[in-house]
Amino acid sequence: MNEKKALLLVGSPRGIDRSTSGRLGGRLLDALKERGVETDKLHVHAVARSPDALASALAAVAAADLVVLSLPLYVDSFPAPVIAFLEKVAERRTGGMADAAHGRAGRAGLFLLIQCGFPESEQNATALAIAERFAAEVGWRWLGGLAFGSMQSSGASATEALARGAEAIAEGKPIPEIALKKAMPAWLYRFGGNIMWRREAKKNGVAGRLRDRPYED
Amino acid sequence: MNALVLDGFRGSEGQGILAVLADALAQAGYGTEILALRDKTIAPCLGCFGCWIKTPGECVIDDEGRLVARAAARCDLLVCFTPVTFGGVSSELKKAVDRLIPNISPYFARVQGETHHQRRYRRCPSLIGLGILPQPDREAEAIFKTLVEHNALNWRSPRIAAAVVALDGTSDVGAIARGLIEAVAQ
Repeated sequence: MNEKKALLLVGSPRGIDRSTSGRLGGRLLDALKERGVETDKLHVHAVARSPDALASALAAVAAADLVVLSLPLYVDSFPAPVIAFLEKVAERRTGGMADAAHGRAGRAGLFLLIQCGFPESEQNATALAIAERFAAEVGWRWLGGLAFGSMQSSGASATEALARGAEAIAEGKPIPEIALKKAMPAWLYRFGGNIMWRREAKKNGVAGRLRDRPYED
Repeated sequence: MNALVLDGFRGSEGQGILAVLADALAQAGYGTEILALRDKTIAPCLGCFGCWIKTPGECVIDDEGRLVARAAARCDLLVCFTPVTFGGVSSELKKAVDRLIPNISPYFARVQGETHHQRRYRRCPSLIGLGILPQPDREAEAIFKTLVEHNALNWRSPRIAAAVVALDGTSDVGAIARGLIEAVAQ
């Protein structure tokens, strides 16, 4: 077994328990735990709240053999607080504290779980490239990732992908290419999604105002 | 024509290049507003969709993120100026970019074969991405340019240009700035 200690970093503003990112990461962690990996979780947005929280998060990263970053795609990349935290990790590295901040002499593994709000999981590609680049810059092992389109993160296909990902990670094997089943055709997603927005607006008493332009000259 | 420059540097490292860019924008006839995001109080996006379904077009968080979104909705040209960070943008820039979501509509549309959102405003600003690296780095540059292209799809930017400047003296900053502005010329 390659990884003994795994740390899940949840990068959703909704937190660990109330987010898809937390649930997906939790399922991967459970599968790793079954294989004897020690696991822990952190909410990235909470790290910025105090210097102590940041120090403690950096120490947790330093102690990990495997970091699982689980987050929603925000504007083709990571949410801002996640980038801010990764900048801190990288600063530690360039600040001459590489060993202290990066576990086994800078050779922690990084695995990305990412989901976007569009049906095409391919829209996560740039964020995957950014994660891989981060791993290269801080000297971590890039293990790859699982990219989910909208509504692809539940169901049998996702469960299988997470199980196979965990197996490969725990055994130090390359992550298999896993094609996730499409939840529905993209046109149907757009059609149903547009109805859903109108329904939500109506609930909030703003039906008919979804196209408001408050900042128009 | 007016340009809004979002300065995503944490310190003053990019100021020399920013001055060259501002000069090139002035030469091209733009009135330019530069927002140093490091001086702005902008809370992280909550991911609540409130800006679409509770207060359509405006973020539910009342801070300077709203002012950035307002300025971005009214400009003709949006310039994202940032240290290239892991191939992407800095957290300083991203804290503002995440809060630009109110400026697009929640309604979905098919754009270049992918699902994106419809425009909220009748016209959207063109987009320039200008990234800064300590030295030339083709891999980081390629990721950055791809990111800006995808941002333009999501923001429905009519014209788009992206470039990376190296701080090691190998880049002709003036020529790059002028080239970017020409590329998005009306």
